[in-house]
Amino acid sequence: MSSRLRVSVVLPWLLLLWMSLIIWAAFFYAPAAAGFQGQSSRIVFFHVPTAWVATLAFLVSCIASIRYLRTRDVKDDIRAETASSLGLLFAVLATVTGSIFARIMWGSFWNWDPRETSITFLLLIYAAYFALRAAVADPERRATLAAVYSILAFVTVPFLVFVVPRIYWSLHPDTIINTQAKIKMDSRMFQVLMGSLAGFTGLAAWLYTIRCRVESIRRRRQQEVL
Amino acid sequence: MNDLLGIMLVTLIIWVGLFSYVYRLDRKVRRLQMEDL
Amino acid sequence: MLRSLVETGAVFAKDLRTEFRTRVALNALGLFAVTTLAAVSYTIGPYRITEGDRPFLLAALLWIVIFFAAMAGLDRSFVKEEDSHTAPLLRLSANPLVVWGGKFLFNLALLYGLMAILVPLYCVLMGFRVVLIAGFLLVLITGGYTLAVTTTMVAAIIARAMTRGALFSVLSLPLLLPLLIFLIQGTRAAVEGSADGIADTLRAVVSLGGIMTVVSVVLFPVVWHE
Repeated sequence: MSSRLRVSVVLPWLLLLWMSLIIWAAFFYAPAAAGFQGQSSRIVFFHVPTAWVATLAFLVSCIASIRYLRTRDVKDDIRAETASSLGLLFAVLATVTGSIFARIMWGSFWNWDPRETSITFLLLIYAAYFALRAAVADPERRATLAAVYSILAFVTVPFLVFVVPRIYWSLHPDTIINTQAKIKMDSRMFQVLMGSLAGFTGLAAWLYTIRCRVESIRRRRQQEVL
Repeated sequence: MNDLLGIMLVTLIIWVGLFSYVYRLDRKVRRLQMEDL
Repeated sequence: MLRSLVETGAVFAKDLRTEFRTRVALNALGLFAVTTLAAVSYTIGPYRITEGDRPFLLAALLWIVIFFAAMAGLDRSFVKEEDSHTAPLLRLSANPLVVWGGKFLFNLALLYGLMAILVPLYCVLMGFRVVLIAGFLLVLITGGYTLAVTTTMVAAIIARAMTRGALFSVLSLPLLLPLLIFLIQGTRAAVEGSADGIADTLRAVVSLGGIMTVVSVVLFPVVWHE
């Protein structure tokens, strides 16, 4: 067996061990944060990484899209599509966990604070991306148009993420501040959070490679049929 | 304390279940790739 | 350079002329705007909103009407080319940037025309009083520009897809969401007399418009020749 194959066999097991450790640590190693309702702060260890992965996936999708437009290599289109689908999954997870957290902390499921608005935006972009892909029959045109849309969306993101929050405060002075950013984190919490971030990223990367391989086989088979 | 343990165990079980599912998928895909080549 | 400008003007003029022949987009935009305005004015009218809520609510409603009217009619210039099968000829005879320029000007003209009629009507029917008129006009002009730039690009993307009308809205709305937020806040600032608010909005909208223009100019040829 080649060394690459051996590594790719070992890594998943490492991931299993790591995430199991993180799960234990999230509940028993890290303390419950002050200022939060009971133990509810622990959801942060699962919510923040999913949001992070959703954003990362978006970035990967855009880079793959740019590369596709340059190289017209089908592999890049596969990468863009896979990254987007994973991004959608994690964005949904992030929205749901965030919503649950908001309910526990502040009593309502949804508040349109800047973070919530950003994740909604991401969801809409992903949904639009797949709607576009579904509406174009020719594979090359589909890949090109999807790539262009991906880039357009990427260009809009900085505005939503950076400019809107600054203006937003003047609009709703009583808006709930996202406390994760403001609270100085206990060092243990920080460790677990970072560890969880790494774990989720690893999990997503693994899912990504599997999905890309499946998709490439699927497309090749489709070609053969034709 | 017991509640926390309970939630943690449930989370762990979900995680292990998810992991085994994905792992099996990985193995299956690898086998497919070997056949294809 | 001059030749390109002349050609752009020609594309624009051609689109205007064909539009006036059938008036599809004009009707769609106009009808939507007038109907919505009538409905809103009749049910809500100038008196049923409290003084405190007015600036924000009326600003939001105005832009919602403009945006949805835009969704009703701004994909027309590209869809029409494809449907009447004149697109291939256009692709052969004109430089893509010329096509983009002409179509963009067409969308811009439609939007400005819509605003010229809608905004005064809105002010009258809804009791919408603007304090900083010059600032408000600037918001309208820059907002219209950025809206036109974005929708022109999206229209080009969906022109050869299958479910055009719905797809146009689905793809445009996420991209336009940040713009919408900025414009509503700017209009609210114009009503409340806050010059700072207008300046903030103008800065954001102009940079968004600038970036969209650059990206459009780079990516349009790709989409057009796909």
